[in-house]
Amino acid sequence: MSTTTTIRPAASTSKSLASSQKFKTFAVVFGCTSAITYVACDLMGWPLFSYHPMTNRLEWFRVPPRRGEGPVMYWYGWIALSLLCGSALGFLATMLPKTISRKIPLALVWILPLAAIPLLFYSLMPFWTR
Amino acid sequence: MEFIFDYISSNTYWTILLIFHGLLAIALLGALTHQGMAVLLPVQRAQPNAAFVTRFRAVQGAGYASAVCVLWVITFLFGAYIYTEYRVSIRIPIEQQGFWKTLGLFELKEHLATLGLGLLPIYWYLWKNAENTSYHSARKWVTVYLAGVCWFVFLAGKILNNVRGFGS
Repeated sequence: MSTTTTIRPAASTSKSLASSQKFKTFAVVFGCTSAITYVACDLMGWPLFSYHPMTNRLEWFRVPPRRGEGPVMYWYGWIALSLLCGSALGFLATMLPKTISRKIPLALVWILPLAAIPLLFYSLMPFWTR
Repeated sequence: MEFIFDYISSNTYWTILLIFHGLLAIALLGALTHQGMAVLLPVQRAQPNAAFVTRFRAVQGAGYASAVCVLWVITFLFGAYIYTEYRVSIRIPIEQQGFWKTLGLFELKEHLATLGLGLLPIYWYLWKNAENTSYHSARKWVTVYLAGVCWFVFLAGKILNNVRGFGS
């Protein structure tokens, strides 16, 4: 009876991602840029699309509420834009030479999201002061 | 989806989803609190007769990483779906009642949950390389950040549900 070891594809993919320098670069840049883009989208009011929950209507970019159609939501559009920007920049960063990508400070992945909290808190000022 | 409302009311449907969302959040909270304690106050090896808190801190954090990522994404998707109904059925009456700070707290919750979502790839990578000591500081603070966010998000959701839940 032969004894061969079979590696499951999912486990193998997970292991190769965990040891990949390119994935690390992608994850660092994705974490930093998605946080920055999300805060910018919130402060500047830049959704990729607007969603009208009462009518299930989706429209590109920022649109005001329509008369008789209830409120409009931008949060989904901010998430989509920040994840897209994070993914695109993360992917581009994987093409950088290792000598450059290794110089990106790892501490930024928690410092930037932490610094985002007071800015997001500030963006909600109308709720705190009303 | 409309066929569901032939069997249960709209309020029951959204309440069931909200309960699932809450249960997933509790599982996530437990995993991240264990991990957070393990990185902030590490214990090399807990004795069998060690105190409860010592045993709580003595978990192998790496084993939670994939589960935390999956739970965060699923909980987030549930929350994002429920948010559509919240915006129409819950937020408008709360605005009419003037609970602006509660609404602000909930908006902040949505922001922080999104920031946490962006951190999941690096969080997963750092924990999958837990033996790499050069990642120790980043792994610790990313985990503590996610645990803190998870506690805030959970409590903000609980407070909002106390102010006005589905069907109230």
